[in-house]
Amino acid sequence: MQEPTFLILTALAAGAQHGYGIMTDVARISDGRVRLRAGTLYAALDRLRSDSLVECDKEEIVDGRLRRYYRITPEGTILLAAEVEHMRANVAAASFRLGLAGGPA
Amino acid sequence: MTAPVSEPKGRGAAWTEERGTSDEGRQRPRAARRRASGGTERAGGGTERAGEQHILERRYRRLLALYPAEHRREHADEMIGVLLASASDTGTGHAADMADLVAGAFRIRSRNAARRLRRPGTLRGAVRDRRWGDALAVVSVVAPLLLLVAALAQFNLPQAVASTASGHPYWPLSGPFSVPDWALTIGAPLVVLLAFGRLRRLGGLAALATAIGLLPAQSITSPALAFSVLLAVTAAAGLLLSRGAEHGFALIRWWGAALIGSVAILLGGFSLGGFSLSGYLASTGTYAPAVPGSYTNYAVLPPAEVTGLAGDLVIAGVVVVVALGCLLTPVGRRVLALFAIAMVPYAYIWADKLSTDLIWQRGGITSISTSAVMLYLPPALVACVIVVGTRLSRRRADTIAATG
Repeated sequence: MQEPTFLILTALAAGAQHGYGIMTDVARISDGRVRLRAGTLYAALDRLRSDSLVECDKEEIVDGRLRRYYRITPEGTILLAAEVEHMRANVAAASFRLGLAGGPA
Repeated sequence: MTAPVSEPKGRGAAWTEERGTSDEGRQRPRAARRRASGGTERAGGGTERAGEQHILERRYRRLLALYPAEHRREHADEMIGVLLASASDTGTGHAADMADLVAGAFRIRSRNAARRLRRPGTLRGAVRDRRWGDALAVVSVVAPLLLLVAALAQFNLPQAVASTASGHPYWPLSGPFSVPDWALTIGAPLVVLLAFGRLRRLGGLAALATAIGLLPAQSITSPALAFSVLLAVTAAAGLLLSRGAEHGFALIRWWGAALIGSVAILLGGFSLGGFSLSGYLASTGTYAPAVPGSYTNYAVLPPAEVTGLAGDLVIAGVVVVVALGCLLTPVGRRVLALFAIAMVPYAYIWADKLSTDLIWQRGGITSISTSAVMLYLPPALVACVIVVGTRLSRRRADTIAATG
């Protein structure tokens, strides 16, 4: 799983968000390291929706413009959890090899 | 790498509650837009900023035209809102946002294209007109047969058959064998086996591979090479874009295919009889190998023989009759258009033989010079006319259906 995908699913894991909310949340989660732009975000959302990992939650009209909220699907949650486990195992292995076991991962 | 894992819920969740989720989350972009749209008089220069936003929105919308129509319908407004909010929030990065929009459109379009290609029957679905589908099915039978004849010509088989049929001694069955072109020798029978064995997709790919494999074999200016390459490409188009040889056989019947194959062998023999790799010395009744750069060992064909000038006229007559016959039906006309692609270099082969029979036999030396442009540009134009013409007529039909 690529990092932007991971971060988008992570952002949605806590609840439904609209596009701009996801963008700012991803920046926050990654400590400003990953800044998604609209083109990247909507290309990723398009893929995640076609893979049934994300779905539309609700729509609103704000200032005359459509605002759509997205939420993670059960399949998305399972995939994200699996990825977290996978990364946790990698982190544990790397920490052990670096002699950091027990320290901050 | 560790950030998303090591700080999962705490900050992200708290922030989400603060801004990202539902009602609270909406406040920020709205506020940002209000700021940006000049809604607050105290900020001053509001109209100016609104103008800037308007210009920016227009630019973004222009780039959104790169996205698939469906995506645009569903997300354009939403994306504009996000882009404007993001622009007014950061105050910079318009160019980067624009570049990212273009990249996003490319990603979505390429993913859609890959998805469409994975769908079974996609290529076949590209041909919506039933008559073109039927014509391509006929081509999927006939083109592999012609390709096989071209391959057998390397072993002088069509020449021998034509000589035997016409009683001409030029190419008896025991005649000399030329060095075979391996791509054609292996590719042509393989294409026939796969096409007639109901493996049309594999047959189509084998035909494409044959066309590519042929290219390094001879000079690019050789009409014979161009004929084989374009025939292989035509066979590939027939096999990949139609229901395949089975449907083609249903349209022309097995005896139709047998007749076409037999005529092709005869005409192939006649086409190659007049000039070739070795000469028949009429004076001694023996064969002599061709000497490069010299014409002394080439035969002077007895003029009355069918493989001479009469053979050229037979070929022309058969081609004209078949073409006229094709003109009678809509599917036939389309078959004719598809074979016109490969017939361009064949016309050079025929014209070269005709000039040989007319002039060389009377003591002159002639050879029609060809170039890659002459051989490949007209077929490419024919192919373009077919593709563009069918697209335009489909669009016209759609328009008529929509308005009617």
